[in-house]
Amino acid sequence: MKILVPVKRVVDYNVKVRVKSDGSGIETAGVKMSMNPFDEIAVEEAVRLKEKGVATEIVAVSMGVTQCSETIRTALAMGADRGILVESDVELQPLAVAKLLKVIADKEQPKLIILGKQAIDDDMSATGQMLAAFLGWPQGTFASKVLIEGDKITVTREVDGGLETVELSLPAIVTTDLRLNEPRYASLPNIMKARKKPIENLKPADLGVDPAPRLTVLKVNEPPKRQAGKKVASVAELVDKLRNEAKVI
Amino acid sequence: MDFQPDTEQQMLIDLVRRFVREEIIPLEAKLDPDASELAPEDHARLVEKTKAMGLFGIDIPPQYGGPDIDIVTRTLLAIEMAQHRAGLYAPCYGTFGGAGLAQIFEANEDQKERYLYPTLRGEKKAFFGLTEPSGGSDPARAIQTRAERRDNGWVLNGSKIFISGADRAQYGIVFARTDAAKGRAGITCFILDAGTPGFYVRRVVHTLRSSSYATELEFKDCWVSDRQVLGEVNKGFAVANDRLTRQRIPYAAGCIGVAIAAHEMAVEWAKLRSTFGDKLANRQAVQWMLVDNEIDIRSARYFTLEAAEKARRGLPFRTEAALAKLIASEGGGRVVDRAMQIHGGMGMTKDLPLERWFREMRIRRVGEGPSEVQRMVVAREILGSSLR
Repeated sequence: MKILVPVKRVVDYNVKVRVKSDGSGIETAGVKMSMNPFDEIAVEEAVRLKEKGVATEIVAVSMGVTQCSETIRTALAMGADRGILVESDVELQPLAVAKLLKVIADKEQPKLIILGKQAIDDDMSATGQMLAAFLGWPQGTFASKVLIEGDKITVTREVDGGLETVELSLPAIVTTDLRLNEPRYASLPNIMKARKKPIENLKPADLGVDPAPRLTVLKVNEPPKRQAGKKVASVAELVDKLRNEAKVI
Repeated sequence: MDFQPDTEQQMLIDLVRRFVREEIIPLEAKLDPDASELAPEDHARLVEKTKAMGLFGIDIPPQYGGPDIDIVTRTLLAIEMAQHRAGLYAPCYGTFGGAGLAQIFEANEDQKERYLYPTLRGEKKAFFGLTEPSGGSDPARAIQTRAERRDNGWVLNGSKIFISGADRAQYGIVFARTDAAKGRAGITCFILDAGTPGFYVRRVVHTLRSSSYATELEFKDCWVSDRQVLGEVNKGFAVANDRLTRQRIPYAAGCIGVAIAAHEMAVEWAKLRSTFGDKLANRQAVQWMLVDNEIDIRSARYFTLEAAEKARRGLPFRTEAALAKLIASEGGGRVVDRAMQIHGGMGMTKDLPLERWFREMRIRRVGEGPSEVQRMVVAREILGSSLR
């Protein structure tokens, strides 16, 4: 069984993001970039399925600037077998990514596509769902547990108020939640092996997709500064403030 | 020369950086500010991870089971491993394993069976007994511990000082004078088991590193057999000296790592802290301190990587290693000092790692050959053989 794992290059989760002075977006010049943490969980899940003998090949796909190949290398060092880079200078929004992935999926014919449930930069949480629609495949989103038996995949989803379990027929789309697994550290032997693994280079035009953005970002603002806390002298004062100032009770 | 890490080196750097950030620093929040060890269960858990990463035994040569990476990459990783509170003297609390003493790799097969392999398996610990009360920088002249021939072996008499870990080691290597007339060609290296009659660990010496201490050793008619001679009789100094040169590179790397961590804290704080109505970062006095930090760190990094690169290529690197150790330890001290100044009162507290780094970084200008000796090494090189 072949698994396709799309991975996104995002600002490292440890970086304090800064809004560009003209409000057009986030400062990324000279900022440390890494694989989207939810995508790491996706790669880890695919590698575990391969270790269990369920999967036979893992293909990591990344899209965007040339440096996305570094993100693919990270996936290869975790255990993916080969990579596909779709290089584009144009900003790729979820719709374009889903369209591009659809074409790649048609070509690669994976049985399973595992994606992060969202990217930590724009928090859109859209690509997996759009891709499922384009392919006409079932989707198990926000997975906290995945079990494959024959042609069926059981996905446990964390929903408000509990766990929901869905059963899908393969081929299918799974998007990962935080608790699905704890991604491993890469290892020295795998980092060295990754050097020899192939990465195919494509452009959106090669896949017949127009990647032009359909959404326009009007303005990016810093979140409002948090106000300092207040000390209250009594329970009565606390209740009063909650009711009349904070208006939460 | 371009010392930018290649793709694989960068991935390894990222890997170790993440390990430090996610595994080591959170544990430090719960440890004594001067701790140099993790709880045994935490240590064991993290060793499992470093083994899975293929990086356990980072300083062990590949033919003995260590990871197959060159000294430049090791140096880059050593810079990362030091970037936490205990990082200068206990990088990652030893969870990447230790090679033990470099000299033991030069032992004969019998000695390797008895000492090297148990050490690599983590069953034995060793101490390095070189320095004596009469001085450590010029061991060829300073060594007064004598070893005299008796009953197919040697009798040791004398003492050593500032020896780390001798009270907890199962064995150590001890340098003693076997020929009084021959200067540096009259020194022999012995492997000494703990508990050998006549070998005493005399006194614990406390230093600036408050949780850590050194010991004083005494040898009183301490007999060791010929089997315990490491290398050849009267050629012990070469064994010591090679280690002293090579060891300067990771020693410098540790200083750079801590300097980077202190500098990052200072930059972050300068951008947050306001005084007299403006951020510290907008004050020229503070900006210049940050720039001087940058200069100290970059030059230390450049010199140290140059030494490592020469060592990797098998070229002479004695001068480069001396310069690297000198610049990284002196510059590192200045960086930590400036970082404390920028932090003001907070910089003095044990809530932050700066005060520990300040104390420990002071030792670095003396340990592993003081600055003056490093300068002497370079001076000899500049002035040629007439001073040798």
